[in-house]
Amino acid sequence: MNHTPDTATAGNGGSFDPQQAAILLDEATVQARRTFTPGPPLLWVYRAVFVLVALGGYWLSVRGRDPYSAPSGGLVAVIFAGVAINIGWSTWALKRAGAGVTGPAQRKRRAWNLGMLVVWAAAFAFTVPLYHAPASHPVWALYPASAPLMIVGLVAAASSAALKEWRMAGTTLAIGIVAAAAGFGGPAGAWLIMAIGLSAVCLGTAAFKLWEQDRSVVGP
Amino acid sequence: MTDEELDPLIHVPTRLKIVATLAALPAGDALSFTRLQDLLRLTPGNLIIHLRKLEDADYIKSEKTSNGTVSITKVALTGRGRAALGTYTRALRDLLGGLDEDETADYARRRT
Repeated sequence: MNHTPDTATAGNGGSFDPQQAAILLDEATVQARRTFTPGPPLLWVYRAVFVLVALGGYWLSVRGRDPYSAPSGGLVAVIFAGVAINIGWSTWALKRAGAGVTGPAQRKRRAWNLGMLVVWAAAFAFTVPLYHAPASHPVWALYPASAPLMIVGLVAAASSAALKEWRMAGTTLAIGIVAAAAGFGGPAGAWLIMAIGLSAVCLGTAAFKLWEQDRSVVGP
Repeated sequence: MTDEELDPLIHVPTRLKIVATLAALPAGDALSFTRLQDLLRLTPGNLIIHLRKLEDADYIKSEKTSNGTVSITKVALTGRGRAALGTYTRALRDLLGGLDEDETADYARRRT
């Protein structure tokens, strides 16, 4: 077995003064935070750009249409591709952050993710009967823009707060509020409110996560 | 305050990295030995020696589980270890607070 001297200089080949220790502590902490964070800031920046382009494009596509009609097939395909990238990236980030990690917080997070997946599916699945029912155009147009994310956001905020996950509760509450506000924007305007509001929430979350990851534990 | 007052068990580069890495996990969560080894880029022998010293001081706890063919060792920071890192961090902060302007600027430059 290797012999490692139990001195303050072990591993450094020189003296280990408090400044070096502070730098090492900061570096190790920042690296660990980046490794164990399931939603990296870059992913949130991608989400901000995606919702701005996709939902903004949706608004450009449907505004001024009377009667209201669905957007072009090309735009819908772009939105589906963007959602697929988001799901793939999020899954990869979750797996990477959770690799080798076990314990109560991990179990809680997995159960919460599974629960939210069910809420997402249920909220969006309701658009199918709405489409087949003789719902008016404003209702049919407004529901997918506002209601699913309002339901998901508020359920996620309430459940996160119950688990004392305050950061997640703040982000999801902001999403729920933007979606609720979009309900007042009309069939076309709702998409514009969602595009700008959600993009701002995603950018804010990215900035907060970046600050949270990189802040020093020792220095100012 | 002098650097002699820094916890000698933590004030070793490798052990400081181990404790800081485990402290980034939520309290109660554990990390597999192999993931910790990958993150810190240490040999298994070197890591074992440092983990043993931390475990002897009750700063970490390790648990070995086996499903018959594969055994996995998990390592977690204890409450005592988390508290020790907190005390160590405060002591470092106090020491660095006593630096003169040039030393503080040097610390900030080296950190970035």
